Parts: sequence; C-alpha cells; structure tokens
Amino acid sequence: MNVPLAVISVTLVAAVAAALLSHAAATFGRSRLLGAFAGALLGLAGPLTVMVPLGFCTFDDETTTLDRWFGLALIAGAGFVAILLGRTALDPDAAQRRQQRGDDVAHGVFRGSRLAPWLLLAPTLAVLVVFLYWPALRTLRLSTQLARLGAPRRADRCVSNFTELVGPGMPWLVVVAISTATTVWTATWFARRRLAGQPIGPARQRVETAIRFGSTIGVGAVLLAIAGLWTADYRAVFVVTMIISIGTVAGGLVIALGIACLAYQPIRGAGLYRTLLVWPYAISPPIAGLLFFVMFDANSGIIEHWVDSIFGLALPDYRTNARLAQLVVVLASIWKTLGYNLLFYIAGLQTVPKDQMEAAMLDGAGSLQRFRYVVLPALSPITFFLVITNLTYAFFETYGTIDYLTAGGPAGQTSVAMFEVIQTAIPGRDLGRGAAQSLILFGGVVALTIWQFRSTGRRVSYGN
Amino acid sequence: MIPRRTRRSAVAVVCSALLIAACGSDTDTAGSGDIAGSDTAPDAENTADTGEEAPSSSDQIDVWIAFTDARLDWTEQIADDFNEQSDGPDVVVQGYEDYESLFDATLLAFDQGNPPAVVQYFEAATTEARDAVGANGNPLFTSIESAIDGRDEINGVPVVLDDIVTAAANYYTIDGTFTSMPWNTSSSTMFLNRSLLDAAGVESTPETWDDLRSMCEAYMASDAATDSCITWPNHSWFLEQSVAQQGALLADNDNGRSGRASEVMLDSDAMVDYVSFWKGMQDDGLYTYTGIQRDWGGTYDLFAAQEVPFLVYSSSDTTLLTDEGVNGGFEVESSLMPRNGDAISGGGNIIGGATLWLVDGLSEGDQDTALAFMNFLNNPENAADWHRTTGYIPITNASIDLLESQGWFDENPNSAVANAQLAAAEESPATSGALLGNFVAIRDVLTEGVEDILVNNLDPRERLGDAQVDAQRLLDEYNELFG
Repeated sequence: MNVPLAVISVTLVAAVAAALLSHAAATFGRSRLLGAFAGALLGLAGPLTVMVPLGFCTFDDETTTLDRWFGLALIAGAGFVAILLGRTALDPDAAQRRQQRGDDVAHGVFRGSRLAPWLLLAPTLAVLVVFLYWPALRTLRLSTQLARLGAPRRADRCVSNFTELVGPGMPWLVVVAISTATTVWTATWFARRRLAGQPIGPARQRVETAIRFGSTIGVGAVLLAIAGLWTADYRAVFVVTMIISIGTVAGGLVIALGIACLAYQPIRGAGLYRTLLVWPYAISPPIAGLLFFVMFDANSGIIEHWVDSIFGLALPDYRTNARLAQLVVVLASIWKTLGYNLLFYIAGLQTVPKDQMEAAMLDGAGSLQRFRYVVLPALSPITFFLVITNLTYAFFETYGTIDYLTAGGPAGQTSVAMFEVIQTAIPGRDLGRGAAQSLILFGGVVALTIWQFRSTGRRVSYGN
Repeated sequence: MIPRRTRRSAVAVVCSALLIAACGSDTDTAGSGDIAGSDTAPDAENTADTGEEAPSSSDQIDVWIAFTDARLDWTEQIADDFNEQSDGPDVVVQGYEDYESLFDATLLAFDQGNPPAVVQYFEAATTEARDAVGANGNPLFTSIESAIDGRDEINGVPVVLDDIVTAAANYYTIDGTFTSMPWNTSSSTMFLNRSLLDAAGVESTPETWDDLRSMCEAYMASDAATDSCITWPNHSWFLEQSVAQQGALLADNDNGRSGRASEVMLDSDAMVDYVSFWKGMQDDGLYTYTGIQRDWGGTYDLFAAQEVPFLVYSSSDTTLLTDEGVNGGFEVESSLMPRNGDAISGGGNIIGGATLWLVDGLSEGDQDTALAFMNFLNNPENAADWHRTTGYIPITNASIDLLESQGWFDENPNSAVANAQLAAAEESPATSGALLGNFVAIRDVLTEGVEDILVNNLDPRERLGDAQVDAQRLLDEYNELFG
C-alpha cells in the first residue's frame, strides 16, 4: 500500500478546499477562519466518502498506474463536489438566487408535530429506498467486484472494472479535443462577461449567436475527448450510442414537429386523425423492433417488395450493413416515440400566442419567418422537455427495439451502451462489469442533463 | 334479429364451453381418474405451500424444463403416465422460457429452501452446473450415478442409465461419474433440398468441405441457381463440432476432462481452418450470413423457403425440416455435417442438447421418485416416441432397437443420420466435448468474433487471436472464483 501518496493526495485536497473556501468566505463577508475550517472538513469528508468504501485499494502495490490515476481522479472529483457544496452553503444569496431562477420552490412549514411530515413521506421514502437507493448502492458495490450472475462467490476487483474500459489508444485526440474545448469555453466566458454591458441590437445578437456556436463546439469537443479515452472496444459502443441517440432525438423532434404542423391544420376529422397519430406510442419498443424487422427484411419484407416493384432494385440487407442497421434502428425508435412527441407538439402549437402571429403577419413576415421567429421560440420549453425525455428514451429504452431488430449487430454496430450493459450482465452473466458499465451510462446521462439544464434551459422562453 | 337474452346466454355457453375444454384437457390426460383430487395439477402457489410445510416427504415434486412448446405438452403427458403408475409423490412439470431463466429460478428456489427436484440444463453449462452452489455454499446438484447407487430399478422403474448411447454417456461422464440424465440430445447434421439440386443437375451428397464447395459452385452456375447455396447459424456449437471433427481440442487437460481446463484454444489451426473455409464460402457468394448471431429462425426459414439448397442445422429439427419438404413439395434429405477433407483421423462429431440434473438435498422418497421419473422418461417406448416427435436422437440403445424393429428408420432415413454420425466418431477427449468454466460467455465471444470476420472482412487468424484473449480472461476469472 502506497500510504504516503494516499495521505498526501487527501491532505492536498483538504488544503485546497480550505484555501478556496476561506477566500470564498471572505468575499461573502464571513469569517475566514470559519471558511477555512469548513473547507478542511469538507475537503477531508469528500475524498474519504469515496475512498473508505473502496478501502483505499487504488493505492495497493499491485494496482496498475491507470488504477492509481483513476483513484486520484476520484479523490479530486469528490473534493471538487465538496468545495462546490461548501461554497453554496457559505453564499448568503445562493438560496435567493435559486428561488429567482425557479429551481427551488418556496417551502411550506408544518406546524405541530415534527414527526408528521416524515410519517407522510414514509411510503414514498420506503419505495425509494427499496427500489432505488438500495439497488443503486448494490450496483456501486458490484461494480468493484468480480461477480457472476447466479454465483454467490465474489472477488474484489477495486476499480479495474472501470479502468479496463479506459485505454490510451488515442492520446492525441484527447489532448486536441480538450484544448479546443478549453479555448472555446474560455472565449465564450469572456464574451458573456462583455455581453452584460452591451445594449440590445444587431451587434449583441451576433455575439449571442457566436456564443451559442461556441458552446456547441465545446460540447462536441468534450464528447470527442471522452471518445478518445476509451479502449477501441468501448469506444465503438460510445460512438454507436452517440450516433443512435443523436439520430433518434434530432430526427424524431424534426419529424414530429413537421407532422404536428400538418396535423394542426384545421381540417375535418382532425381530432380522430390526431388520435390515430399517437398510436405508435402505445406499442412497446420490442414490438416496434419486430415490426421493422419484418418490414425491412431483405428477402421477404414489404419494403423490399416495394423497392423491387417500384424501382426494380434489390434492397440491401440492413442486418449485414452497419450504417443501414443504425439507420433502421433510428427509424424504428423515431417511429416509436413519434406519437409522444406529436402529442406535446400539437398541444404546444395551440399555445403559440395568436396576437404575436397576427402581429408578425401584419409586419409582413412570411410563413417561414413566422415559423422561425414566433413558433419555434414559443415551442422552446416543449422542445427542451422533449429533448430530455427523448434522450432518456434513446439511452435506456431502445434495448427492446435493438434486440429484436439487429441483436446489436452487425458486429456490434448497433450495440448501444444500454444494450452492452444487459448483454454483459445477463447473457454474459458478468455482473461486475455490467454494473460498472451501467454506472458509466448513468454518469453520462447525469452529465448530459446538467449540460442541458445549463445551456438550453437558459434560452427557454416560458412566455413571461 | 337475435333477442338480447339469447345472445347473452349464447355467450355464456361459449365461455363455459371454453372453460370446460381448458380444464378438461387436464383431467383427460390424467388418465383413469380413479382418485379425483390427486390427478389434477396444483398451481404454483400450492406447490410452494406444500414444499415449505413438509420438507421431508412431499405430495409432489417439481420438474422444471426449458420448453414452452409442444415439447412441454409431451413431457406433461409423460409425467401423467408416470404419476398413474407411481405410488410416490406426483411429478409436476413446469416450463420456462430459456435455460438462463430456468437456472436463475432454480437458484432462487434453492436459496429459499424450496427447490424443484429435477432441472433441465444445457450441455455447455455442464461445468457451471457442477460448480453451482447456493447462498449457503452447498452444491446445487448431485451426481445421478451416485444417487442411483447401482440399483437396477427404482420404485419399480427399470434404470436405463447404463444403456445411454456412447456419445452422450461420454459427454456427461465426468471424473468417472455420470453427472446427469441425458434427455434432449442432438448433433449437427446437414439438410439438402434434393429437388433444387436435381433441377440444377447437381448430383451426389457432399462429405467434405471441398465436395460441398464444388457442388455449390456447380449449383450457382446452373440455371436453377438461387441467391446462395448454403447457410447455417453463427452459433458456437458448429465451430465446436468442426473442431471435434478434426480431432482437435477446445481446452487443455483433455478438453477439461482429466482436470479443470485452464487454457481455452479458440485460435487453434482447426478453428482457423474452419472459419477460413466459412469466410471463403461467403466471399464467393455461396454462404448467406443472416447478420444475426445464433439465428436459428432466419437460417431455417431460408431453407424452408427454398432460397438455399443446403442447410447445416441441429438434428433436433429433423422431423420439422423433413415436414417442411413434404408440405412445400420438395424433397429434404439429411446427411452428415461436411468435414475437413485434409484433417487426419481421430475426430468425429459431438452431441449438443441438455440433461436433467438432480437437485441435491432432497428427501430419500423425493429423490427416488425423481430418479424413477428420469428413467421412466427415457424408457425405450418414451425415448422412441420423443425421437419420433422431435428429431432428438433416441437416447438409449434399447430405444434404437425398438425403432428399428418397428421399421422407423427404413421409412424415415433422415432420422437415422444423427445417431449414425455420433456412432462413427472415434472415442477421444476431442469427441467427448469440451468442459470449461464460463463456456456460455466464451461461446458468445467466439460468435462475436466470427460475425466480425464475416461482416467486416477481417483476417480469421488475427480476429480469432483477439477472441482467444477475451475468452482466456473469462476462463481465468471463472477459475479464480471456482477453481
């Protein structure tokens, strides 16, 4: 066990936390000593929460260099979260700002017994603990073990279930992507600061557009950097997940909005028509997979029949062509979520302010311009909501569709992260690696959601 | 117009008729019905209750199998026949969707102290079954041979274990003891659409890879050519068969039979040769890959739809495939799985399928009933009927004799192929089949590799080398836990 390294890294985090929080305390007008004390405490608590359950195993003698780095990254990450929490706790205005942003609802207060609220919460808490927190803790534990489904014997694996997914295959990609992201984000940060003082006008709009582009490029660069971190095998999973998720969400929303605009037209029988459009939502993902499997079968599918009789062409077999397989999976997922997206977009179109539309018409805006400058911004809260729900769908629910449509093939080219987790843990019976991969997937979704709330959330117009 | 009341009562009559039909089938098959109560199958909840209250001697024992189709009906019928002639607890058969869920359910039931008596499990998981322990660390299954303990009959049912055909007996005899009762057993055989081949003017039956290739080239060059010539599922079983045919091993320590296997050999010459042959057939447009691993359905359909004249498949579907021909108006012939003409002798085909495992720790009465049932299931009449119904091989020599005396093989020459192929194999560790831990996952590593080779046009030796690394890691991990 490399004790000095462990002690030094934890102490370093505590020292940094103490320094930063004492500085923060000073800016907020509180005692420096209090800040330093809280910082040291939090800076110790954060890393210890992570490392004590692991038994500081990343500092064992037989671990690889990668495991060590992973352990240090865990310590640093935990320290970072601890410092953020401490900073928020010290900031007297934080609560007020949160309320202003609408993230935090004003609390009611229970009078009388202190037990009453807990009693009322108990059923929900019990369900959460039994079905969410306890399994989550078990997953965390399993991810550090060599564990097989149906075998009670276990062996400890420290963090190697994670680190064996990380490989130094493309260091240049990581370096280039990270430096791009850093540059772009620094630039947008400065631009945003400058923006604060600028008057509303075309110049400001140009800067805003540039910032938007910048942050998108930054996110893309970060995704690239992450792609470069994995081993070749897991990078394939990551890339496939990105292709299928982005394809499903972007394609799904565009098509749903298009159809919603058509279905929104006041024609006879529109109510019935719209109800029928929601139909695919009632179908479970595996059935969607089965339907597309039959339709797109290269030998006997109806699509093959059409392509053959109309164009006289043979339909290529999507089951042996990677791009086509991904396309068919995306199509099936889009079709599956179409009803849901339509429902929200049709409802959203009904809330577009009529007066704004009329005003735009009077100002001579064409239908395209009206769509671009009035309808789209009015729909932005719904789009935001749909992006989140569709992303969740693409990450977690496409398993059934893919399993029936391509079974992850050809050669893993439609094996998204979720599919890979289930394949590893259930047929492969490798619970430890399955748990580790599911945590990575979980981390990815958390990161994406945070990014979504921070970037898109800011631009969403709630009409006030 | 029909009066409403009449309609309503008509509906009631139909409903009750359906109910009676549904319940009636149970009592019908239960036979004479002299004791009304005992013959009806209790539902799952009752099963749990009786098991918990009386762990020593039960009213019934559970047999869990991984079939939900006609094979489950067949087994339930046999259980009814058995219960009729047996004084002991009743045998109740329950079907599961697949082997994995069956095994997981068994483990759960074992940990809860209420396990079934007999569980079906497949051949590749033999090592896992032997190593399986409950949460308390007790072994899950016990050797059937030691449980029979040399008896010739149990509860009046003659023991058939000594009469099991050699290939199956060799596979399931491990460390000198017969571990489990063979049941559904098959080998990989080839099926030919003779009508298509005749139309193309291609004659004879291929025995080696080269024969097959030249016949396929002739077929594809003819006017009767279809999209391609042959297909088979990308299932590890066919690769294992081919390795055994060439007399090569899949694992060290004599395929894991003289000691626990510690090295797997996915990149052996035999394996590379077979995959290269396979890829060559695909490259020349002779083999169709359906694009899905373990695709039994898609390959079957290609043959049944007369898209390909050749299919390498499991002999378990011999009856079904032959019937496809009868119904579809083409002649289906079964033949030996083509082998490597260059391979020196010493090989032969291996079995596949599943066995019935006896759960450890049953009371003596329950265990004897379970053993009696397993032997009853494989008595000559039942084994012959199982073969006729499905196409799995007749598992005992007595059942083969019975079928021969009935003239079955003369009328159905396709059904004789699998037994003949297995009997022709030289007895060696190679043809006994490999035993190794984590075999199921290793199989998936292999089929993944083959898919990669076929779809992405990779070099077989190189890609199998990668698969070898992954498979070896899986084996090492298994041995770390159980070795």
